[in-house]
Amino acid sequence: MSNTQPRPVESERIALKARNVSFSWEDTPLHWVPGDPFTTHTINVLHLLLPAGERWFVHVYKQVLPLIRDDRLRADVVGFIGQEAMHSQAHDEVLPHLRDQGLDPTPYTAQVDWFFEKLLGDRTLPPGRARRWWLLERVALIAAIEHYTAFLGDWVLGASELDRRGADPTMLDLLRWHGAEEVEHRSVAFDLFQHVDGGYRRRVRTWATAFSALVFLWQRGIRFFLENDPTLTDPKASFKDFYLRGRQGTLPATGDMLRSIPRYLGRGYHPSQDCSTAQAVAYLAGSPAALAAQKREAA
Amino acid sequence: MIPKPRTVALVAGAALLTRRALRRRVRRSPLWPLPALDPPISGRPRSRALKLLVTAHETIADGVVRLRLEGTGLPRWEPGAHLDLVLPSGLVRQYSLCGDPEDTSAYTIATRLVADGRGGSREVHERLAEGTELEVRGPRNRFPLVDAPAYVFVAGGIGITPVLPMLRALPDGTEWRLLYGGRTRASMPFLDEVRALAGDRLTLVAEDEDGRPDLAGLFAGTAPGTAVYCCGPEGLTAAVEKALPGDARLHLERFAPRAGADGSAEFELELRRSGRTLTVPAGSTALAAVRGALPDTAYSCEQGFCGTCRQRVLEGEVDHRDELLTDAERRDSMLICVSRARGDRLVLDM
Repeated sequence: MSNTQPRPVESERIALKARNVSFSWEDTPLHWVPGDPFTTHTINVLHLLLPAGERWFVHVYKQVLPLIRDDRLRADVVGFIGQEAMHSQAHDEVLPHLRDQGLDPTPYTAQVDWFFEKLLGDRTLPPGRARRWWLLERVALIAAIEHYTAFLGDWVLGASELDRRGADPTMLDLLRWHGAEEVEHRSVAFDLFQHVDGGYRRRVRTWATAFSALVFLWQRGIRFFLENDPTLTDPKASFKDFYLRGRQGTLPATGDMLRSIPRYLGRGYHPSQDCSTAQAVAYLAGSPAALAAQKREAA
Repeated sequence: MIPKPRTVALVAGAALLTRRALRRRVRRSPLWPLPALDPPISGRPRSRALKLLVTAHETIADGVVRLRLEGTGLPRWEPGAHLDLVLPSGLVRQYSLCGDPEDTSAYTIATRLVADGRGGSREVHERLAEGTELEVRGPRNRFPLVDAPAYVFVAGGIGITPVLPMLRALPDGTEWRLLYGGRTRASMPFLDEVRALAGDRLTLVAEDEDGRPDLAGLFAGTAPGTAVYCCGPEGLTAAVEKALPGDARLHLERFAPRAGADGSAEFELELRRSGRTLTVPAGSTALAAVRGALPDTAYSCEQGFCGTCRQRVLEGEVDHRDELLTDAERRDSMLICVSRARGDRLVLDM
């Protein structure tokens, strides 16, 4: 039945390549959304999760290359790997800046490192079925996580409320360059999962794992930041804080997030049906970091 | 069925105790119960982009300017280290550091204007005026000062820049000599300081007065194991390689990539684990050769910044051309998309 198969939108396809970006953080204040530590630290959790998380994507995808039997998909995966490697590096460079400002993220990031390097790392498995199963399970997990990175990327590209509040331009450029590349390559992880496995039960199972892990790690990261922020005296955080900021537009709206769940679990889902490649490409055409990367490559 | 009051009290008591114990445990270490990776990986980026301010731009010899680049909390460096400057046009150029390695508030570099060069030095001279903001990466060191019983330094013109901090750093009583050459005396930077540091260990050769340097004379009577450091134009490095005594160890710093079509010569590449030997032609990359033999090799950016194609090097000296790996990583690995062999052969663990 055609309506139970994923239906890609062909016009949303684009050639992928890594951009050699670089950001300097000297001028970015600790609370880079002025006067709003909760929003700042909720988004800052990205810097805790992504360096290890995207390094892990690259690690897994390097192993899956031999399983790809389609040249177009292989080219996409190759482009995807480089973009993810640069995301990991770019977010990693924010961490020393947080440390310089008295907010040492190492206790938390060391746990995230353990999470991705050990818990989700290459286990000592016999070659053959067990090893292949674990590889496919991780490929499916990445597809589920990429559903959310694309969601967040699309959100940050349109989050004009952050500009209105005077958020730091360098941080916004990092988030939007990253978000735009996530939107650019949002179909790759799902296509790869469909290509090497594509089982619906696995899609649901790994979505549940990825979603729970993200919620667990994220709320913990927010609490970690608020408790250790040297400038805050009352480090309280609640779901209400998140909900209200979602309504104001400085964080994703709770309703939008809930609505994205059944989309990923729909049998006819394909990432190209969500988000807009045009918006992402338009941002990259004017992004200071992406333009500097382009100049560097041309030179 | 209604539970007995005794059961209710027991369950409630147990729940209360568990909650208290949990809370106490979480308070003791707020991030319990996930284990942590030791040592951690994240939060230690390879190199940080630094934004520096040009606070001095002065001509110190004919065609040579010295720049002072100020910042805060800058990484320390070792003599021989260089900095990657991201010039306003986007060009990335490497310049040796020639100030004080312990100074964490500023870096000093000096560059010579190469009129027919690739444009980098012209930009430094004309566009990096005082007050310009500049992005740099590094510092990195591919020309480190090693322990040796004796040293001979050969510097050609602006090639004195990496050598100068070495001369300052050598402990008293070390046996060393310096040959400092240039076209004219007026074109040679740091002459006064070099004279003061070196005294009678200095051989000064200005081509317009003294002609070509006498390298054979310089190397005559060097002790076995002497470290020879040479930084200068291609002609000088080639002459030093030729005149070098057999028992001396040469450390070279070139101004530009080794001559060839685009600075790349053919070399042989052995893939030890797969038992294959390939030829990497001039003008092509090691990655292309490896992909011909092993099509599933991972790579991505093909420009030496994403790090996906990093491979372990078992034998051979590498001409690193990436902008990612640290000095420590360069000791035993390379990015095969851009880096090449310094000699004519490399062995990779793949």
